[in-house]
Amino acid sequence: MKTWILAVPALLSLAMCLVSPALFFAGKISERSYRLAFLLTSIAWFVFAILWAAAARRNKE
Amino acid sequence: MASRLAALTLQMDKLYEFDRVPVSEDKLQPGGKFAGLFAGEHVAATEFVIGAFFVLHGVGARDLLLGLFFGNLLAVLSWTFICAPIAVRTRLTLYWYLRKIAGPGVTFIYNIANAFLYCILAGAMISVSATAIGLAFGIKVPALDAVLPNSVGWVVLTFAIGTAFTTLAVLGFEKLSRFAEVCSPWIFVVFIAGAVAMLPRLGVHPNLDNLWDVAKTKIWNGVAVAGQEKLGFAQVLFFAWFCNLAMHVGLSDMALFRYAKKWTYGLFTAFGVYPGHLLAWICSGVMVAAIGREMDPGRMAFEAAGLAGTFGLLLAGWTTANPTLYRAGLALQTVTPNWPRWKITLVAGAATTVLSCFPVFFLKLLDYVAIYGLVLMPIGAVVFAEHWIFPLLRIEQYMAEKRGWTFNWSALIVWLGTLVICFSLPLHLYFRWLPGWFIAIASYTALRASRKMEGVR
Repeated sequence: MKTWILAVPALLSLAMCLVSPALFFAGKISERSYRLAFLLTSIAWFVFAILWAAAARRNKE
Repeated sequence: MASRLAALTLQMDKLYEFDRVPVSEDKLQPGGKFAGLFAGEHVAATEFVIGAFFVLHGVGARDLLLGLFFGNLLAVLSWTFICAPIAVRTRLTLYWYLRKIAGPGVTFIYNIANAFLYCILAGAMISVSATAIGLAFGIKVPALDAVLPNSVGWVVLTFAIGTAFTTLAVLGFEKLSRFAEVCSPWIFVVFIAGAVAMLPRLGVHPNLDNLWDVAKTKIWNGVAVAGQEKLGFAQVLFFAWFCNLAMHVGLSDMALFRYAKKWTYGLFTAFGVYPGHLLAWICSGVMVAAIGREMDPGRMAFEAAGLAGTFGLLLAGWTTANPTLYRAGLALQTVTPNWPRWKITLVAGAATTVLSCFPVFFLKLLDYVAIYGLVLMPIGAVVFAEHWIFPLLRIEQYMAEKRGWTFNWSALIVWLGTLVICFSLPLHLYFRWLPGWFIAIASYTALRASRKMEGVR
């Protein structure tokens, strides 16, 4: 399996984790929205990163 | 006694058998691997506490930035010029190199000291994680000067978390340790996100035009909170330098650098220390200032990043306490021949859990980190002297190995003597290790040189 298919959404999720506090700091979203967005993008990171790591391991084996 | 010691030595050697032989050429790793490895280290739960303590200790903004920049630079240079060259030349772990130099008896004592110090460190991590869960149950974090637990709730909480962490370490699920690997970049993001989200609360404008003013007046304003010692540039610089003292000057990281193609790979430690010991500490400083300078990592994380922040703090505690427990177990296993790994990890975990109930270890974390490095530093100095200075002075190296000594008494005397001198030096705790290192090198060299002339041990 091509691991980049999982690496891209994983890294995008991690980047999005940083976008939500930046938007809150800039006054574009509320604190509640920031916290929710941060939680959801964090979950997305864990899902994709775990799959990415597993795929990379399988490829190595 | 002698046969017991021989049995312990044999057991100890068996445990480390897999890395007894110097690393071969084909096992050497490229620089990129080291950059990745170090980037994943140095972001632990304790970062939430250390950066916050600089604020509570009244460090000024300029002192903090310069102190952390140059202190971390000195740490990187210590890895590069002290630890990595010895590791690359010997291709051995500190365990095996120390055994050649100081004998199995001293190595055994070193292991036990290391295990005990690891348990305290893991205990502090459990305490920090406890503040995250305690918030949900309304359990108050002990006061800054607390030594003993402040409530039954705190004891129950630390016991519960310690038990959970220990159980996971005992079960040693491979999948869980893989999960820990993916946590590390995200935990770093929690620090950054939390700090950015707290800036409006401190009055920072979206265009950042008053960021430096806020930093100087509301975060690192140079005023220590009641009961906390005022720290300045020198203390911050030394703290950043010695907070991994056991790893660089103490040479523990020979275990990693023995796989390096070149000693210059020590420079890759910058990928770990600058994000972890500069950015993360700055972020936790911002967070603690935003919650009113109260040492409550759980509240800091929750208010900065909500539920994800709480989860992040818990994961940061677990991902760092877990390998620490493992290392403590490995070191302790030397005194319990034939005990399986799970049993000794359980013992280490139980000791750690008990220690975690005492808030003093995380509330005095800065001092503990200083003591931790100081205690192990003289061994690094002994190895340094034997490796570099003995050949120059034509003092015979590796006498313990050649003559089959159990104890190199010179090394043991220098270790203990240096600690006695260091603890009696009229200097701030943070500065004592540096003269101590030179004292250890000079006294070990002098002692061995005089023994050489006498022709005895």
